Amino acid sequence: MSADAPATLRRPPEVRSEPAPPPRARHAVTRSAGYVTLIVVSAATVFPFLWMLATSIRPSNTVFGGPLIPRSVTGDAYRRAWTQLDYPSHLWNSIYVTVATVVIVLALSTLGGYAFAKLQFPGKQVIYVILLSTLMLPLTAIIIPLFLEMRALNLLNTRQGLILVYVGGALPFAMFLMRAFFETLPDELIQAARVDGAGEFRIFARIMLPLAAPGVATVVIFQFLSTWNEFLLAQTFLSAPEYLPLQPVLYGVVGQHSTDWPLLTAALTMSVLPIIAVYVRMQRRFVAGMTLGAVKD
Amino acid sequence: MVTADVPRRRRLRWQPVGYLFIAPIVIFFVVFVGYPFLRSFYLSLTSWSGFGTPQFVGLRNFTLMADDPVFWKALGNTFLFTAATTVLQTVLPLLLAVLLNKGWRLGVLFRTLIFIPAVISLVVTGVLWQLIYEPNFGSLNEILRRIGLGALAHAWLGDPHTVLPALIVVSLWQSVGLFMLIFLAGLQGIDPTLYEQASIDGAGGRAKFFHITVPMLRVVSGVVILLNLINGFKTFDLIYVMTGGGPNRASEVLGTYLYGLAFGSTAGGVPALGYAIAISMVIFVLCLAATVIQLRVARRTTDVR
Repeated sequence: MSADAPATLRRPPEVRSEPAPPPRARHAVTRSAGYVTLIVVSAATVFPFLWMLATSIRPSNTVFGGPLIPRSVTGDAYRRAWTQLDYPSHLWNSIYVTVATVVIVLALSTLGGYAFAKLQFPGKQVIYVILLSTLMLPLTAIIIPLFLEMRALNLLNTRQGLILVYVGGALPFAMFLMRAFFETLPDELIQAARVDGAGEFRIFARIMLPLAAPGVATVVIFQFLSTWNEFLLAQTFLSAPEYLPLQPVLYGVVGQHSTDWPLLTAALTMSVLPIIAVYVRMQRRFVAGMTLGAVKD
Repeated sequence: MVTADVPRRRRLRWQPVGYLFIAPIVIFFVVFVGYPFLRSFYLSLTSWSGFGTPQFVGLRNFTLMADDPVFWKALGNTFLFTAATTVLQTVLPLLLAVLLNKGWRLGVLFRTLIFIPAVISLVVTGVLWQLIYEPNFGSLNEILRRIGLGALAHAWLGDPHTVLPALIVVSLWQSVGLFMLIFLAGLQGIDPTLYEQASIDGAGGRAKFFHITVPMLRVVSGVVILLNLINGFKTFDLIYVMTGGGPNRASEVLGTYLYGLAFGSTAGGVPALGYAIAISMVIFVLCLAATVIQLRVARRTTDVR
């Protein structure tokens, strides 16, 4: 039944890399040049990560002036970063803030996205346009009034306040994504359920939401990534060290431990590994989430 | 619970329960986006330290800008950064996407690797590259010395002449993969028969690129350019983390300047909130102008089709 949705939306932009037909001889040179280009670009992209990893596992006394590839390896910097930076508690803050934000954004954006896609009510278009009008509004343009508002609401320096601001900022785009997914689902399903006497919320939660699973996955991953990586708001709204998530802490350690490169790079590596691991495993969804908003119309 | 019975009886095919569905979004939007945004219009017309009552001063903040050399420096840097990143982060990803789209045995690997920086936070990127650029032991100078180019070794972030280019390279490193993927998705939407037809007509690779690929990617390119422009105008994290706008304001952009004015690292004295918000209005207007122009151009190109 749902199969008649346009293929492009049911399966958001995926990138194929099918082998092209075998190159003809006269193309051999350009093909090698292409290969070299891709290898050079990939290497240049990856090098900083490899260097970060290599530095984080060096013994401290070989960091400056030692060989580029460490001769002996130690996990000491990870241990020090873990304890000296109070890493577990900041990691927990990041997880807490990110998970809460993702859950709330997901719940509210699916509800709203569904309503904008499938329900009829007066004023819908106007509200939709207003919500989307600020999609391109840069955060730097409203950070000061937001700060003042948080202060007035006594939400400064609380993780809950930060979560609320994240949710507010993220909802329009997440709703826009979910609406796009719901629009591809056939109306007949809803009409049939109405005839059977199902309530609107039940139709949404039991029938339509499960069908929008790819959209849900896209929103979750996109939101997870952007909340985990957010810096400006966390840096501005939180001051108590015990509430800080990882990003402001990573920014802060440069000043405090500027000469302890193994510790710095170990802290960076630990913050990046979960993201890269999820990315490599769920690449297609990642790519879909990050490109869908841009490619769609 | 509200059910569908109510609207059906009304004969209009309306589902007022929709208002309940969208209410949370609307409330969040009004409180955390709409209200602060509208308030910033008013606050940009005031003089205020953040405490007491804002004092209405009309357009004085905007006339102050005209005489503020730091503002002009920051505006100029913002434009330089935006122009360079927009050009580089549109052209290079496009070329890479076209290359990658030709099909390679290791295509997936290349694509995966080139995209990785896009999932990393700007703080991690900034700190990592600070270490790479570090003058004495950073890996960039280290490599230059080892391959006999030690004369080029440099305090990349400490020299006013190289700091902006150095930051632009980092931005490029982080963004190329994302925009390349957007272009790849666009390329795969192009009908392959167009290329076959062109080959039959005797068109070479270059002709196909300029007469098929580029025109067919016009909409996608418009989006990429717009995203780049907005990212450039609003740029903050990377520069704040790597240089804080220094040395001596050589990498100051609008974002870092207004942040310093409001939250204290460069102002030194009383926070100048009204003035800082007025500068944020400039960023907003730049982004708005970019969006409006992009929409216009996009509409015209779709009309042509």
